[in-house]
Amino acid sequence: MANIIIVLILLLIGGLAVSKIVSEKKKGAKCIGCPYSGKGSCSC
Amino acid sequence: MKVALTGNPNSGKTTLFNAITGKIEHVGNWAGVTVDKKEGDIKKSLNKSSLSMTAVDLPGAYSMSPFTSEENITRDFVKNEKPDVLINIVDSTNLNRSLFFTTQLLELGIPVVVALNKTDMSRKKKTVLDVARLSKALNCPVVETVSTKSSQNGLEELILKVVEVRGSAQSVPYISEKVDFSQAQSVQSSDRRRYDFVKELVGKVETRKIKSNQQTRQDAVDRVVANKWLGIPVFMLVMWSVFSISQTHVGPLFADILVGWIDGFYVLVESLLGGDVSPVLKALLLDGIIGGVGAVVGFLPLIMVLFFMLALLEDCGYMARVALVMDRFFKKVGLSGKSIIPMVIGTGCAIPGVMATRTIKNERQRRTTAMLTPFMPCGAKLPVIALFAGIFFNDAAWVGTSMYFLAIGIIILGALIVVRITGEKNARSYFILELPEYRFPSFKRAAVSTMSRAKAFIIKAGTIILLCNAAVQIMQTFNWQLQVVAEGAENTSILASISSPFAFVLIPLGFGAWQLAAAAITGFIAKENIVGTLAVVFSITNFIDTEELALISGSADVAGIMGLTTVAALSYLVFNLFTPPCFAAIGAMNSEMGDKKWLWAGIGFQFGMGYVASFLTYQIGSLFSTGSFGQGFIPGLVLVSTLVGYVVYLMKKGDSKTSLKLSVSAKGV
Repeated sequence: MANIIIVLILLLIGGLAVSKIVSEKKKGAKCIGCPYSGKGSCSC
Repeated sequence: MKVALTGNPNSGKTTLFNAITGKIEHVGNWAGVTVDKKEGDIKKSLNKSSLSMTAVDLPGAYSMSPFTSEENITRDFVKNEKPDVLINIVDSTNLNRSLFFTTQLLELGIPVVVALNKTDMSRKKKTVLDVARLSKALNCPVVETVSTKSSQNGLEELILKVVEVRGSAQSVPYISEKVDFSQAQSVQSSDRRRYDFVKELVGKVETRKIKSNQQTRQDAVDRVVANKWLGIPVFMLVMWSVFSISQTHVGPLFADILVGWIDGFYVLVESLLGGDVSPVLKALLLDGIIGGVGAVVGFLPLIMVLFFMLALLEDCGYMARVALVMDRFFKKVGLSGKSIIPMVIGTGCAIPGVMATRTIKNERQRRTTAMLTPFMPCGAKLPVIALFAGIFFNDAAWVGTSMYFLAIGIIILGALIVVRITGEKNARSYFILELPEYRFPSFKRAAVSTMSRAKAFIIKAGTIILLCNAAVQIMQTFNWQLQVVAEGAENTSILASISSPFAFVLIPLGFGAWQLAAAAITGFIAKENIVGTLAVVFSITNFIDTEELALISGSADVAGIMGLTTVAALSYLVFNLFTPPCFAAIGAMNSEMGDKKWLWAGIGFQFGMGYVASFLTYQIGSLFSTGSFGQGFIPGLVLVSTLVGYVVYLMKKGDSKTSLKLSVSAKGV
């Protein structure tokens, strides 16, 4: 039971990370998390 | 309703754009920071009308006849997209230059509102401006603004005027005669007449106490800071101070606290898991995710302090002086004077640095700059520098400083090689860099910039780095038959089998262990991964408190855990900093170079340069520290000699191209 919970937690963490990457890429981010990176603009 | 922000470079357009939209686009106290247009809705607190207003921040331009690609963006937007109103941001400390562009904008038929910006600086110089007279002379509203101030900055009045002039016809204060653009003389004489008009106008509305030809305190500072000979040692001292404060003194104080919290969280999760959980899952969660991500995040305070200090340096106007000091070196090796701008931007992140190369007109110079910009240590490389400086060099500030200057040296050498290979060693370029006035840096702006970068760092750590560390942990745990590898048999894991062939090539560089090769490989996804992977493969969660680390491992010293000598550690750092950047930056190189041959040559060049620099660091360092060359000297020497020989061959080939060009031009063909 404990192992199943841990697997679920790991899948949740991984899923959240992947969904964040996908959403950032959809916004046009060249580098994940970068506040200056978006569609047509990237000027740190 | 669309409102375009136009004006000369460094007139404060992006600062004003951020102030009216609430956005956090990057600003810098120097010309050429914005190279592309940006859009944002004007804040409701400033926009009292019922209209929805979008502001468009455009790159700086000196005139409507474009000389650079960013001026093209501005001209094309204003002419083709027909915004409803133009806000022309005018630097009130330099009216003579700024109003030339204003008179051109007024001819377009779009209503214009002039934002007379930086009026606080004009007042400080006791310059008196007759705003009402200027407004009357230009036939458009003129509003005094100080976009760096959070209140009483004139922005509400500015937006009010924008709403008022919407839809109105713009009358022209200066009528230029017909210009034949195919005739340089016709263009020049037209520009001269326009300048005369502006000069006369400025004479009527401006009363200066300090004449522009008078020497000021700023000029006195520049005589030292931007001096041909003193500029470099001053820059070295500045960078050493920045690293000393961020990596040795202030940064570690906060890092110790943060690492304490991460360690506490690790212990808490470990105790919650208990003894029933599978060791594989336990290791994945604790060592792969919490340990790996925690090791990277532990460096956040050091990086934040460093970014904060670099932001202050940029804001006060110092970085523009650095650009000036470096300019003469870059010109000598065939780069554009403008090449320094992408490289300074590249100290934050290589991607915008590479993208900033688009302001360089000459194709070879642009591609060479895009190839060399990633050599500058970017923000992602800072945790790697901090890790090695901390573990192997007792947090010495010279490590980070020397990496910056080594990067500059490699860039100059690289440019020299490329210019010879391409057969353009006689090419010379000219670049006029406008020096902004020194000002007291804004702590608020530096804090906002630092916080947004810190947020980006955390997001990156929680996404890409987390997934990579988890993958590394899984690949380290299993072999190709998907069986858990036994303790002590880690060499049979998937990760070891993938990394070992690479590790073999790295023996002459002093780090032939598969773990170190694996970290270098994951570094191509994101450079911070090097720290995360080292944490996972060596099961280290705390790279900050190295005394504690040595105690836990039972090893006599930290170097023993990673199997590195001090010289090898420096070599490993050099290799990771000067081999190709992350894939995202390579993608930016691809789009800016626009040529696959250049891209692959660039990546090959970066690999070669990193390998040779690392080889020299290790072998020469070993010779001095132990009296003999290090491991794998002979095979390494053969490989390095082959690389160098090939580059020399290409350079000779390029020289013959140059001679051919010269003889053709001498014959007047």
